[in-house]
Amino acid sequence: MKYAKVYAEDVQVGSEMPPLVKPPIQQIQLTRYAGASGDFNPIHQDAAFAKAAGMGDVFAHGMLSMGFVAQSVTDWLGVGTVRKLGVRFAALVRLGDVVTCRGKVVAKRPPKDGDGPYLADLELWAENQKGEKVITGKATAALISRA
Amino acid sequence: MPIQINTSVKGKEYAPYRVTVERGKIKEFARAIGDLSPMYLDDAVAKAGPWGDIIAPPTFPITFRDEGGDTGALLRDLGVDIGRILHGEQEFEHFKPIRPGQTYLCRLRIADIYEKAGKSGPMAFVVRETTVTDSDNDIVALMRGTTVVRLSS
Repeated sequence: MKYAKVYAEDVQVGSEMPPLVKPPIQQIQLTRYAGASGDFNPIHQDAAFAKAAGMGDVFAHGMLSMGFVAQSVTDWLGVGTVRKLGVRFAALVRLGDVVTCRGKVVAKRPPKDGDGPYLADLELWAENQKGEKVITGKATAALISRA
Repeated sequence: MPIQINTSVKGKEYAPYRVTVERGKIKEFARAIGDLSPMYLDDAVAKAGPWGDIIAPPTFPITFRDEGGDTGALLRDLGVDIGRILHGEQEFEHFKPIRPGQTYLCRLRIADIYEKAGKSGPMAFVVRETTVTDSDNDIVALMRGTTVVRLSS
């Protein structure tokens, strides 16, 4: 495979992912994400609906923030490397919030039977501008050897 | 009194449905996230890449919806208003890249329903699993999502 951003030799247990800082959340992005994803829950679009539902104001789709987390991994390790990605939505992301995605390598496994990719296990999280975690999660990425 | 939900749908399997991935939908999805990788957006660059075409971002299978088994159907089955739900957890496992023009078969089931006390009152947790297979009958992706229902009245 010719396309790789980071090879297996480039990461070790403890290697830190470069933080991905996303622009402040705007209503238009939530509307775009609704259209792109098919999730038209009015709680992400309609402040009056969100207030009546007891949520105070609109908030971002969890899946939008998970998309940011996925991007943080693929920006670092390359598109197509993500074998597993799992998250817990820990806190709501509101309009104006700046989400920063962070992570580190917690395990690196050699190819099974000496063939195929290395697998890197990542611990991931995303935080808002106050440093509060909005997502915690983990991923497994497949990395090819430079050789 | 907290509201009651219909927990008898635990184990329910929805009718399998097919989804054909549109090239423009992949690009719209990547742009909505603000992920501008050419492997999602640029046909010419991606053509020279490892897959010979663009592929979909990791969370793209969340768009694989069907009216017969979407969140609206779930809410009707549970007897719950849309304003009560939150996304609690989500997982994806990927086995093959998701490509434009391909048709995938999705099988969705309610894997679990359980209740527990949360910070802001009683909550129900509804776990849905979707298996995505391609025309070779290979598993392409697995999705597991937990929807949280706020039960406080």
